[in-house]
Amino acid sequence: MELTKNITLGVYLPGKSFIHRLDPRTKIIASGIIISLLLIIRSYPAYGVVFLFVAAAVLIAGIPAGYAFSGFKPMLPVLIFMWIFQLFLYSSSDAKTLFSWWIFSATDAGFHMGALVTLRVIFLFGVTTLLTLTTSMVSLTDGLESLLSPLKAIGLPTQELVMTMVIALRFVLILAEELDKIIKAQMARGVAFDRGNFIQKTKKIFPVFLPLFISAFKRAEELIIAMEARSYTGGRHRTKMKTLHLGRVDLEAGLIMIAFTALIIYLILITVPPI
Amino acid sequence: MQPIIEVTDLTYMYRSGSGKNVLALNGVTMQVYRGEILAITGQNGSGKSTLARHFNALLTPKSGTVIVDGLSVADKKNTAIIRRSVGMVFQNPDNQLVSSVVEEDIAFGPENLGLPQAEIVDRVDWALESLNLGAYRHRSPNSLSEGQKQLVAIAGVLAMKPQCIILDEPTAHLDPKGRCEVLENVLRLNRDEGITTILLTHFMNEVVHCDRMIVMDQGQIKMTGTPRDLFKLADQIKALGLDLPPASQLAHGLKLKGLALPGNILTLEELVNSLCQLP
Repeated sequence: MELTKNITLGVYLPGKSFIHRLDPRTKIIASGIIISLLLIIRSYPAYGVVFLFVAAAVLIAGIPAGYAFSGFKPMLPVLIFMWIFQLFLYSSSDAKTLFSWWIFSATDAGFHMGALVTLRVIFLFGVTTLLTLTTSMVSLTDGLESLLSPLKAIGLPTQELVMTMVIALRFVLILAEELDKIIKAQMARGVAFDRGNFIQKTKKIFPVFLPLFISAFKRAEELIIAMEARSYTGGRHRTKMKTLHLGRVDLEAGLIMIAFTALIIYLILITVPPI
Repeated sequence: MQPIIEVTDLTYMYRSGSGKNVLALNGVTMQVYRGEILAITGQNGSGKSTLARHFNALLTPKSGTVIVDGLSVADKKNTAIIRRSVGMVFQNPDNQLVSSVVEEDIAFGPENLGLPQAEIVDRVDWALESLNLGAYRHRSPNSLSEGQKQLVAIAGVLAMKPQCIILDEPTAHLDPKGRCEVLENVLRLNRDEGITTILLTHFMNEVVHCDRMIVMDQGQIKMTGTPRDLFKLADQIKALGLDLPPASQLAHGLKLKGLALPGNILTLEELVNSLCQLP
């Protein structure tokens, strides 16, 4: 499938490692903690520790390093662009100018800001990729449903939301295949998608998405009838075939996460941020 | 025999896209008997799908009555019970499977019924076993053939332990191999589990295997009887826009050419036997 080549986010690599065996809730919460830490980290030593931690997790999960890095490839231009943007546009009162060009000047504050923002995005992406690489979509949604269930008390239809996600996941591939079919059908009738300038190319995309939307709505209608015929009436009276259980691995992971969080907070407190 | 579904003078009208009222069903009266396998056939737009959708309360009658296992479909209070006893499998397997894992999809129906966890696991195991899908239980339906996907859809209905299964052109999307696979399993479930089966189909070689058949046209039932009795009436069948089963077609043609064959040949085997007995 051409459309899914080079995308590691959302792919699941089955395995039996320590990380694979963790309860999805443990993994979701751990990722949540790391992501919130990333948002407040402003020092290089702390990023060093995060790097070691994530790299260790990748190794333990048995994900090939080359595969883990390939996910960053499509992001590279964005990352570089982001760094350059910060380099020239971010400044503070006591910043030293590194060099100037026309109306732009690069400061050391901008340099560090760029580096920190870029690192943050890299690790945010890395952590979420690690989560989806080691957790199947089904257990991810199960975990999410369980974690969101307290919100039922305030009237949020969590089971229905999660059911929507489950169905969306099932149809991603079906719709991707359908899109491919529509594109090929239009190519067969003489549309050259790779020719013309940016605007001309964009214009050619609309006649592709219209049939896709129409077919998606038709599928949705059929699916609703099929679900109704199988006695679906919303989440209220449903039971589940599988329930989640926390095990010993989850306790161990919890302790590791506490130690990691404490270390990061300690590093944030003792180091002076570069800007 | 006692009917499980009784339809009396059922009429259904809907408003078409251009605003005209279309009479989809016009005074239909019929019965489905417990344990039988009934084929409903007819051209596109003959009303067979509309009729079948009344059997599990997806549609409610505009006039006339539909009684399923003693309960009226028109009464909203009965809907849940009726859907529990009458399951339905649709044409396109891709548009009726819910989950990305085979066993989770089969569990969808029992989960909706609010059954206890152990019971759901038992039923999923049993449904997988009944349709020989055990090897695929952890796979994604996307990785299966169309025929296998349709078997998963049937397993999903089977796990709800219905008394009756309606199959709405279950083989229309399949290749010959998948068609064969699905038909064999449907016939076996009817025979071994005693599940009343209603098969909506265009394929006459599938109808041949059914106990009874109904031919519909323009919202009305035109013919009712056993395939053996009805396919004798070749001209009437053709006038309703349908074909004969391949063997019957050939026998009919040979008879017109003057061969003294019996008029009720259904299968290739019967045709060969009759040809060998010719003087």
